[in-house]
Amino acid sequence: MSGTPSQGFARLLARGGIAAPLAFAALLWAAFVLPHASDYVVRVLTVAGTYALLALGFGFVFGQAGALSLAQGTFMGVGAYVSGIMAVRWGAPFDAALPASIGLPVLLALIAGVPVLRLQTHYFALATLLIGQVVLLIAVQWESLTGGANGIGGIPGLSLFGWPLHSRLAALLLVWAFVAAGGLLAWHLGRGRLGIAYAVLRGQPVAARAIGIDTGTLRLLAFLLSAGYAGLAGSLYVRAIGVLSPDILGFPVMVTCLTIAVVGSRRRVSGAILGAVLIVELPEWARFLRDDYLLAYGCILLLVIVAIPEGLTETADRWLARLLPPPPRPLPAPAPLPLISAPARGETLLEVSGLVRRFGGVRALDGVSLDLRGGEVLGLIGPNGSGKTTLVNVVTGIFRPDAGTVRFAGRDIAGLTPHRIARLGIARTFQTAALAPDLSALENVAIARDAARLGFWRALRARGAEKAAAEAEAMGLLVRMDAAAYALAPAGTLPPGIARRVEIARALAVRPRVLLLDEPAAGLNEEEQADLSRRLRTIAAEGMAIVVIEHNMPFLAPLVDRLICLDRGRVIAAGLPDAVTSDPQVIEAYLGTPRTVQA
Amino acid sequence: MPVSQLLLGVLALGAAYALIALGFVLILNATGAVNFSQGDLVMAGGFGAVALGQALHWTGLALLPALLVGMAALGIVLAVLTYLPLRRRPPEAVFISTIAFGIVLQNLANRLFGAEPLAAPSLLGGGRVRFAGINASLQSLATIGVAALLIAALHVMFTHTQTGRRLRAMAQDRDVALAMGIPVDRMVVGTFAVAAALAGGAGLLLSNVFFVTPTSGGEYMVKAYIAVVIGGWGSIAGAVAGALLIAAFEVVYPSIPLLVPALLPWSDTAFSQTTSTIMLDAAVLLILMLRPQGLFGERVRQRP
Repeated sequence: MSGTPSQGFARLLARGGIAAPLAFAALLWAAFVLPHASDYVVRVLTVAGTYALLALGFGFVFGQAGALSLAQGTFMGVGAYVSGIMAVRWGAPFDAALPASIGLPVLLALIAGVPVLRLQTHYFALATLLIGQVVLLIAVQWESLTGGANGIGGIPGLSLFGWPLHSRLAALLLVWAFVAAGGLLAWHLGRGRLGIAYAVLRGQPVAARAIGIDTGTLRLLAFLLSAGYAGLAGSLYVRAIGVLSPDILGFPVMVTCLTIAVVGSRRRVSGAILGAVLIVELPEWARFLRDDYLLAYGCILLLVIVAIPEGLTETADRWLARLLPPPPRPLPAPAPLPLISAPARGETLLEVSGLVRRFGGVRALDGVSLDLRGGEVLGLIGPNGSGKTTLVNVVTGIFRPDAGTVRFAGRDIAGLTPHRIARLGIARTFQTAALAPDLSALENVAIARDAARLGFWRALRARGAEKAAAEAEAMGLLVRMDAAAYALAPAGTLPPGIARRVEIARALAVRPRVLLLDEPAAGLNEEEQADLSRRLRTIAAEGMAIVVIEHNMPFLAPLVDRLICLDRGRVIAAGLPDAVTSDPQVIEAYLGTPRTVQA
Repeated sequence: MPVSQLLLGVLALGAAYALIALGFVLILNATGAVNFSQGDLVMAGGFGAVALGQALHWTGLALLPALLVGMAALGIVLAVLTYLPLRRRPPEAVFISTIAFGIVLQNLANRLFGAEPLAAPSLLGGGRVRFAGINASLQSLATIGVAALLIAALHVMFTHTQTGRRLRAMAQDRDVALAMGIPVDRMVVGTFAVAAALAGGAGLLLSNVFFVTPTSGGEYMVKAYIAVVIGGWGSIAGAVAGALLIAAFEVVYPSIPLLVPALLPWSDTAFSQTTSTIMLDAAVLLILMLRPQGLFGERVRQRP
């Protein structure tokens, strides 16, 4: 490619965003200014590096998993205490103490995380705050080990393979080498399908489980990674400043970390690093702030969260994208995807019997039984509140049944978690399409195909070829549902009719044998309804079993083989469509009690 | 120490905590967001009482009306800065903006009053009252009285005024309230004003006995948060019950060696104030793990 240097620069900005010029400026500064920088500047930058690692770790739990942890500062403090105490007690050099000073915060996160991570955001924030408070109180109280409120002085400095790093510049380079490695790892983990899975988890937590994503494990992974990064940051910090004090377990460290994440941008490596440098350096640049730097942090945090809630780097990238739109990427070529693993025409796939689910005193399901064979389309009707959606929620594992059994392909699945049920082969759509709004339609579909193939080690080894294969298959499904033209549009911008079709494509990407559709025709015009009906029939003809919840009889009647009508949690009619719709009980349920004719 | 004496201590402390927790839950119901600066509002009320007391040399009870008005104004500032610009964003944004507001309050207080503990004037004076075998400080009795009065006034406002009915409608369903023509934003600002006034009142009540420093808000925030969690997220009566429960724990736990003399040798270790806080935190963590919907059940239910 040829072009003027300014065109090349524009291309770089369009592809790499604001991170490219920032990295370039940092390299220039390191090459020309750093060798002449004062000891003091080097020291402050070293501390900034440790905070960059802390914020990079915070990006996993706060940015990716979307959970507001208030224990990130605590994990850093635990790492610092482990490294510092090992140094003064046993003379352990920095690198010998490193496994323990990363391992103990991770262990603490593991013990706390398993029960605490299933809590909602506001409970999770409180739980992590309390964990932090308990750790701080213990550190102050346990004087014989921790030095109590005074802490411990004279902690030996950084070292590598037995060689102490005497010069401050060497210490700075070591810290920033860790920042570079940690940043690279965070970037690599966040850009692949793991990052996409986290976006689904944040945007549509229920739908994420329904397509087979193990959200609990992903949240735990983020929490453990954040604790590991914090432990590393703490052990570097305590060696760099040489003093251990309970201040590092205090809330101001957490506030600093949160400010860095919000100011820099919570999901970006460049954001964590830029934020750390800006926020840690701020009291140095503005000398008059010395004693009031926390006041300044508070004002900056408030200003940024109100004015540019996405933070500096993400906002800058948005402006850049508006100024220099990135070249449109070509649509991937669609690949054919076999819909079902084994053709199961006529085989009984789903057997529900005696299903009961109560909400307080209300029996939303009151002994529902039904069965479903491969290749069959079953319509589920009933007035509002009759239990149709609850039935789908119980079958897919979102609610546990209070009584009754659900068997899928001969196996009892009642009480299994939603993601396991999805992976066994039951997929669903929601009454209002539940796509992750920030992801493209293509990404929303592709991640459903890969939901069982997520995890830390897989993400480490991820290669581009796998992504291309997933996108090609997702494209094939979008073509099949006639939504290919919207493949690259953010799901949040799709018209409702298209969003429904994308959601069905996503359900198909789970490779289900049973497909549960909750009001798929709502908001479609007659032509679109007929089109959807044809496509669903083709899918059923290949052997899949489909359940359609719908009120719209003109749509339903030609589509389904059988109809079931629910009322107040019970099956009141089942059979051929004509028979069910003319059943007096069904008419009564929909229209109310008919006036009895007096003789 | 007679049990009735302990009970009085629990009531006095619990009544003050209840005011803080009420403000917390009012904002929660009106906005769906956590006000992380609720404890710092208590601190601001404490310093406000100190400043007013130094200027006017009145008793605390006489200062109360002026303090409530001033704190309500601070609540409006809080709403305008931290809530209104973020009302269309996820609740976590307000969580963060109120953390920021709290930091600003703390550091402004540090600037204005310094880090040394200060005491607000007592409500009626420093006397003691003896009746029915109880020897009670006037302050604790007046604290119970003032808190009860404020809670009663709040109850009357909620049940007998148009504004109160609108606030309740809004807390139940914001969108429906908006559709019915209730000026939701103005109501939310009003809620912040009421919540800040309640916190400020608690600050006046608490900072006479326990003193006030710029950082003393943190623990009050944690207690209000805990009270609302164990009382059932969003429940107003539950918040008061939760506050009383926390106060009971704080008063009774360190006094266990006084009730059971065999435990006296451990009163400085296993029954110290610090251990008490650790035990409370651990108990709440346990509750969160075993009953995530709170002790009395969650009022807010979501459909998946």
